[in-house]
Order: sequence, then structure tokens, then C-alpha cells
Amino acid sequence: MYGIPATTLVEYAAFLSVAALTLLGGLGAVVSRRVFPACLWLLLSLLGIAGMYALLAGHLMVAVQILVYAGAITVLIIFAVMLLQRATGRIIMAENQHLIGGVIAAGFMALLIIVGVLTARFEPVHIPEGPTEFAGQNVQLIGHLLMTQYLLPFEVVSVVLLAALVGAMVLARREPDE
Amino acid sequence: MNPVPLQAWLIVSGLLFSLGLFAVMTRRHGVAVLIGIELMLNAANINLVAFSHYLSPNGQINTVLDGQIFALMVIALAACEVAVGLAIILRLYWTKGIMNPDDASEMKW
Repeated sequence: MYGIPATTLVEYAAFLSVAALTLLGGLGAVVSRRVFPACLWLLLSLLGIAGMYALLAGHLMVAVQILVYAGAITVLIIFAVMLLQRATGRIIMAENQHLIGGVIAAGFMALLIIVGVLTARFEPVHIPEGPTEFAGQNVQLIGHLLMTQYLLPFEVVSVVLLAALVGAMVLARREPDE
Repeated sequence: MNPVPLQAWLIVSGLLFSLGLFAVMTRRHGVAVLIGIELMLNAANINLVAFSHYLSPNGQINTVLDGQIFALMVIALAACEVAVGLAIILRLYWTKGIMNPDDASEMKW
């Protein structure tokens, strides 16, 4: 490996490990026969994606990914699985059906994306400095942007979140006669 | 600079998206279908962050952060989607005893 700086090797090794973690978790989440282990595989995949954000974005994305995705969303899914397992009194299974169609569709999709990515020409207008770029002020700058340039989308998203959570509570509430 | 090419990130996210699509098409339980949707949303998020990291014009700080803010919005909407989706799955089970989304076909023509 003469001539390649050590930092390049470290970057490649980091990329390959988080990519492997993500894809391994995704594969486990997709093929695991029981739903509960699938949730844990999903958690592994989400943590791998947090590692990707650590290489590409700043601290904030990593923190949000771990807190909201790995923390809140996975826990919500696991909670629902446990509730269903308790209600039905058996372990929830999710066998794969229509295997051939699924393999064909997903394989074709992957092929299409890979061919498209490899044949497209991306002109890097700007080569960033690396993961530590704007590192110290990442959170500060995103907060500022959310309160100025992106104020309207931010508020709309918060209203949507409120409406969705109220709607979910109303939907999931169990009537006494059920 | 990050020596890993942009294409590598895009291929990983494409593979993750295909895994999610496979789960959505083949899984026999609503929660497992939701897991597939989560994988697809995360693949889209990787794309947003990777593109904004590699292709932001002039290295302006705002354009680098655009993709991250986009991804944050997607994460917030994914939280909504999971909450409503799980509520629908629970409701389907309690009212009809259905867990496979294929069986909820009353509105199918």
C-alpha cells in the first residue's frame, strides 16, 4: 500500500465496516422469521447508519439517528410486537411469501440503482474537508437554519407530528367490548 | 477530504433500499412490513446526506447543511408514519384478528 496515506485507509476501513454493519442488519431484518429478532436486526442496521452519518455529516445527525431512530422508533416497534405477542399468546412470525416475485423485484431494483449510479457522472463542485468540517458549529448552524430559512417546513412538520400522534392514540385505543 | 467516492455510498443505500422493498413485498406480518419501510426511508436519508456532503456548490455552509436538514425532516415524518402504522396494525388485529396485511382486502375491488 505504498503511497496511500494512512488516513485514506482508515476512511475506507471505517466506510466498509459501517456499510457491512448496515447491510448485515438490513438482511437480518428482512429474512428473520420471527418479528422480534427482526426488530433487533433493524436496530443494528440503524446503528450502522448512525456510523455513516458520523463519517458524512456532523454530530447532530448521529445523535438524532441514535435517539429518534434507534431509541424511540425501534422501542415503539418492539412495544407493539410485545403487545401483540401478549394479546395473541404466541410468538409472532412473519414468514416471507411470494418469494420469487420479491426476489425478482428487489434484485431488479438493486441492479437498476447500481447501474444507474455507476454510469451517472457526478461533478463534485466542492470537495469538503471531511467529517470534521464545521464540526464545532454543526448543531448551532442547523438550529439557526431551522429557525430562519427552514422555519415554515419545521413548523409544518411539528404540526404533522402532533396530528399523527393524536391520530395514532385514537386509532390504537381499545374499546371495552373488543 | 473523504477519499471514499460518492458512488460507494449510493450503492450501499441502493442495496439497503432493495432489502426494504423485498421486505415490503414478501413479509406476512404488518410490523415486518413497517420494518421494511424503515429501511427504505433510511436508504433515502443516506442519499440525502451523502449528496449534500459531496456535491454542495461553493462549499457554502448552508448548502452542506441542506441535506442534513432534509434528512432530519424525513426522520420526524418517519416517526409519524411508524406511530400511525402501528396503530393501524393494532386496530386491524383487535377488530378483525388480521395480522397479514394481505388479508385486509375488504376495500379491494
